[in-house]
Amino acid sequence: MRMHFSLWLKWALCALALAIIALIFLFPYYWLFISAFKTREKIFTMPPQFVPDPWVLSNFTDVFQMTHLAGAFLNSTIIALGHVALTLFLCSLGGYAFAKFRRAPGREALFAFVLGAMMIPMAVTMIPLFVMLARLRLVDTYWAMILPGAANAFGLFWVRQYIESNVHDDLLAAARVDGCTEFGLYWRIVLPVAQPALAALGILTLIGSWNNLMWAFIVLRTERMYTMPLLIYLLQGERRVPYGMVMAGGLLATLPLIIAFLFFQRAFIRGITAGALKA
Amino acid sequence: MSQKYHMSLRHRLWQNRYFYIFISPFFTIFILFGIYPLAFSLYLSFVKWDGLTPATFVGLENFLTLFQDDEFHASLWNTVAIGAIYIAPMFLLAFLFAQILNSERLPLRGLLRTSVFLPCITPMVVIAIVFSLLYSAESGLFNFLIKVGNAMLPWGKIDPIPWLESERWSKVSVSILLVWRWTGYNMVLMLAGLQGIPLQLYEAATIDGAGRWRQMWHITLPLMRPTFVFCGIMSLIGTFYMFDEVFVLTRGGPGMSSTNFGLFLFNQAFTDFRFGYASAAAYTVAVGVFLTSLIILRWRKPRTD
Repeated sequence: MRMHFSLWLKWALCALALAIIALIFLFPYYWLFISAFKTREKIFTMPPQFVPDPWVLSNFTDVFQMTHLAGAFLNSTIIALGHVALTLFLCSLGGYAFAKFRRAPGREALFAFVLGAMMIPMAVTMIPLFVMLARLRLVDTYWAMILPGAANAFGLFWVRQYIESNVHDDLLAAARVDGCTEFGLYWRIVLPVAQPALAALGILTLIGSWNNLMWAFIVLRTERMYTMPLLIYLLQGERRVPYGMVMAGGLLATLPLIIAFLFFQRAFIRGITAGALKA
Repeated sequence: MSQKYHMSLRHRLWQNRYFYIFISPFFTIFILFGIYPLAFSLYLSFVKWDGLTPATFVGLENFLTLFQDDEFHASLWNTVAIGAIYIAPMFLLAFLFAQILNSERLPLRGLLRTSVFLPCITPMVVIAIVFSLLYSAESGLFNFLIKVGNAMLPWGKIDPIPWLESERWSKVSVSILLVWRWTGYNMVLMLAGLQGIPLQLYEAATIDGAGRWRQMWHITLPLMRPTFVFCGIMSLIGTFYMFDEVFVLTRGGPGMSSTNFGLFLFNQAFTDFRFGYASAAAYTVAVGVFLTSLIILRWRKPRTD
């Protein structure tokens, strides 16, 4: 009986410690949530309010009426989906070619060339990219957010690895005999098999695109083109920062990925860890 | 069959035409938006250019200016200082949490994993603004907690901390945010590392009578070295090039006190429009970071004793 009790106590203490850690990490989300339902004055009371009194919805109605929040949400969605789709297309088609056309002259050299580029930080290419997009008159368009970074060297590497070990040559050969076209092989055999690798890469790309503030700040200029992070950031630049609206908008920018994460937790973690497997 | 080995290059190219067709979309975008800018920025580092007036060739002047630019030096120093403050606690927490997630018996592991990981998928701008509320000198939660602590504990009063208003504290404030933001990322990497260690090693060690600490010291830590090295390199790169965290929380201030290299570069390029000088700085630091990564990589091999 004693034994039981001490075991139970140990379990309870562990659970308590872990719960406290989890609460500390979740706390900023709680603060975001309650601040979105406070009046502006109550955000800055001393002592701080842990529960909004009164609860108000005005931050949400204000942020929708006084800013282009709905438009920004749409822009963010279009950009994120476009960027993910393009990245997946380029990396899977290229990755398939690099994995399965082993006799193609120049294959090794081209691949080494791409791998070398994995070392280049975005910071080095930022200025020329901006200048180029400006000359192509793509600044302040979706393309300025979708195109750069879509030919992701790491993504190509990642998909190639997966296809190499999971798509069998016999299967491709059999399909060729049956008269399947080369593009058909990619579309009907390679893509379905490579789905887990593409899901991980897609999630990694989605997170980066949805949360991107710096590049949006550089290439998006007019309010109707703003993404969620940019709109929220610029609200903060007003003379009297409308913190309630900032929090309401911030909550709406944060929720989609969290909801997706709760449904596809494992795929998300695989996506984030994907980068490590190359090490 | 044997003629296959005597095929002309043209024939082999033709036979593999789909290879070139399939990689061409990737390479088109890759060269236009990856390689060409890289070359262009090398050219830019030898000119003076604001993006509007014609560029003038200045030779090595941009690089020589870097040596005398106090702001550049301050940004490098701040980057190193911030890294020195946050990386060690972040590693310790991440390793501890990874150990917890890796042991089958502990309760609430799912909750821990989810809550520590969530910052990885949250827009930094939102959370940085939330932290700026928490850090607020007069009405922030952190200073409220200090006040409560002072009232409850009879000894040693602590003054409220000017988190974002003083040069002494701004790096600490950024670092706390960074620990919160990046612990989960390192945690999942370290968990993957731990799960890659063969269980037989621990079983054998247990049979040999090695206790938990000896197992940690002789098995876990040596075999985790590649993971630690990878996390270290990612942190190094991340600290140099991070942007959102400092841009939103402190705007690099007060003064220059929390301007890391990434923000310095952004300011040079897109506030002052010194395209040539910024390119020279970007190239110089990229080479420096790359060489440092190589030095860290030499640590990767586990000792074989």
